Amino acid sequence: MLTSKFAGVVAALALALTACGSGGGGTSTGSSAAPDAGATIEIGSLYEPQNLDNTAGGGQGVTEAFNGNVYEGLFRLTDAGKVEDLLAESHEVSDDGLTYTFRIRQGVTFHSGKALTAADVKNSIERVVAEDSQSARKSNLEVIKSVEAPDDRTVVVKLSDRSISLTYNLSYVWIVNTAAKDLATGEDGTGPYRLEAWKRGSTLSLEPFPGYWGAKPANGGVVFHYFTEATALNNALLTGAVDIVTSQQSPDALSQFTGNPDYKISDGHSTTKLLLAFNDRKAPFDKPEVRRAVAAAIDDAKLLESVWAGHGSLIGSMVPPTDPWYEDLTSLDAYDVEAARKQLAEAGYAGGFRFTLDTPNYDPHPTAATFIKGELAKVGITVDINVITADEWYTKVYKNRDFAATLQEHVNDRDVVWYGDPDFYWGYDDKQVTGWIEQAERARTAEEQTELLKKANRRIAEEAASDWLYLYPQIVVASSKLSGYPVNGLNSQFYAYGIKKG
Amino acid sequence: MRGRFTFLAGCVLVGLILVVAAVSLVWLPYDPADTSGGRLAPPGGAHLLGTDKLGRDLLTQLMVGARIALTVGIGSVLVGGLLGVAGGLIAGFATRWLDDALSAVLDILIAFPTLLLAMLVVAAREASLGSAILAIGLAMSGVVARLTRILVKRVLAQDYITAARTSGTSWPRVVAEHVLPNIWPTLLVNLSLQLGLAVLAEASLSYLGLGPPPPNASWGRLLQEAQATVLTSPTGAIAPGVLLVVLVVGVNLVADGFRDLADPTRRRTR
Repeated sequence: MLTSKFAGVVAALALALTACGSGGGGTSTGSSAAPDAGATIEIGSLYEPQNLDNTAGGGQGVTEAFNGNVYEGLFRLTDAGKVEDLLAESHEVSDDGLTYTFRIRQGVTFHSGKALTAADVKNSIERVVAEDSQSARKSNLEVIKSVEAPDDRTVVVKLSDRSISLTYNLSYVWIVNTAAKDLATGEDGTGPYRLEAWKRGSTLSLEPFPGYWGAKPANGGVVFHYFTEATALNNALLTGAVDIVTSQQSPDALSQFTGNPDYKISDGHSTTKLLLAFNDRKAPFDKPEVRRAVAAAIDDAKLLESVWAGHGSLIGSMVPPTDPWYEDLTSLDAYDVEAARKQLAEAGYAGGFRFTLDTPNYDPHPTAATFIKGELAKVGITVDINVITADEWYTKVYKNRDFAATLQEHVNDRDVVWYGDPDFYWGYDDKQVTGWIEQAERARTAEEQTELLKKANRRIAEEAASDWLYLYPQIVVASSKLSGYPVNGLNSQFYAYGIKKG
Repeated sequence: MRGRFTFLAGCVLVGLILVVAAVSLVWLPYDPADTSGGRLAPPGGAHLLGTDKLGRDLLTQLMVGARIALTVGIGSVLVGGLLGVAGGLIAGFATRWLDDALSAVLDILIAFPTLLLAMLVVAAREASLGSAILAIGLAMSGVVARLTRILVKRVLAQDYITAARTSGTSWPRVVAEHVLPNIWPTLLVNLSLQLGLAVLAEASLSYLGLGPPPPNASWGRLLQEAQATVLTSPTGAIAPGVLLVVLVVGVNLVADGFRDLADPTRRRTR
């Protein structure tokens, strides 16, 4: 989903943002020949894990390789963005919404042979919320007050406040054997595959786990081949060294595969949004009129066409179509240079102004910055482009909030909630929005939550809290012999057990 | 007269780029920020060399790029030349421990990779044309200083220096009348070679995103931006590459030709 260069920022964002996952659509349909259940699937990726522990900064690579494949959670987030029971057989919620009782599936064993018990679940949740945990989920699970395991099959989670997203957030909590040692280079999960070998800098191979409690994988194992460079990755696909590439970063590489019957290109939904994020605390961007004027002065459609050549889609706010509270708000942010000029004049900036745009040094940010500079010059605004590295962005913009405006891609689904936090880097502070987002998390039903988040989302769009430039496409290219692979990428997850070859 | 031929060939190539840069000051086919050309339009028609991803005219970008390449090349030679010759003169006159110390400093400066030095300068300042010139100039000054030092020492060992000194000529006059006239041909050849290297160094910096920030159309940046589209639209990568080669080869030919012309011993042996 992201280029190799952006792994740094993704990691940086993941540290603090609620991370991840969503989708829409389904899995691809396959070819007619009889699949070979013993075939090994060769997967090409740009995201090698830093280590194998997702509570110790393993990065998006370990999520891609291990989520759902090697480790399982109490719940699974499907490629279509739905939350399903996995290691939890069922669960009950108390009337006040503060006590969740989970029934743990029986007959599940870890790869080491030990049976899964409620104590392992308790321990796994506690690992993620622990002091030294670097999990991207940590802040979402802060609402957990205590985890108890009254018997081997029951886990009781007590919350300090209602949290309707708890099951969704638990889909990212790996259930790990309490007795397991050295999770940074090894594993002990309950998934359909176990780790066969990890050759750093090259491959990570998974073999089917014979003692798996559920359906057997549709293949005889998978090997992730890691590349540092997209061209080399595509060449590997062309020569048959890999069967599938988890995500394409440039539309121009696709021409090698279009019209070739040996390959199939899937255009799925990503949740990655390119943002022109204003510092809403500081003049001139503390005025909604100025922000709206800037948004109206930029032709998002043309930028999307420049970067993605017909792929991807426009969005009018932070919510991608795969989030339950999506609403088409692109009309609020429509391209209209005249309206932009008028609004600037009303805000007292008839003569324009000058600002510095902090631009991460990897694609597509410099391209977008160049384009924005040209567009805003037409309404009298001068943009000084300041190119910075991902690390500098994290320190200067994210931590010190020392910026006027910045470009950044936000990879997570369900991340509109960050507009409810006035301390977030963009500093959007609206009492109503904060209130709605807080209430939404405490909602009794999903409908109530959706309603509130829609309200908040509409409000931030009307105020142009940021300018949402476009939504990235999620493009998967695979050999046409392959079927059953996930097409939405779900912000780094890549379920491999359904992939068939032949 | 091989020396003269290479010199002329070099002048033609460098002159070509100089003319392009000069023309870009008064006339450009399009506004550099004009994005109306459509994504990756092929060469021909309204856009002689086609357009880039954003729809900007490639020829316009290349012409602006010529200006940047020459500015950085000449600017860093000025910085490197001034610092290097000044440092080299001091080191050339120094004796004993001061000479040893200066030599050590120069050796360290030369051992430092240009790109690493440039990154440090960019980190301390910001990514800009000025930073690029300063960084490349600094890296260059070590090489120039070491060469100057050796040349100065060689001249100072001559009998006529001793004669000049005993007849009461002051050190500044010795430098002006005896040292500089004897070392400048060699220095000039070296500085022109350094100019070619500086142009390449700037392209590398821009390629890495450490050069002048976008939308400055440095050739290195154009190469970097064209990398992803090299299969579908090769002109975007080929054109800046060719111009880089033309300028660097041209500068080197001028330097070679100049050396052959300026050095009487070389002329005689041919």
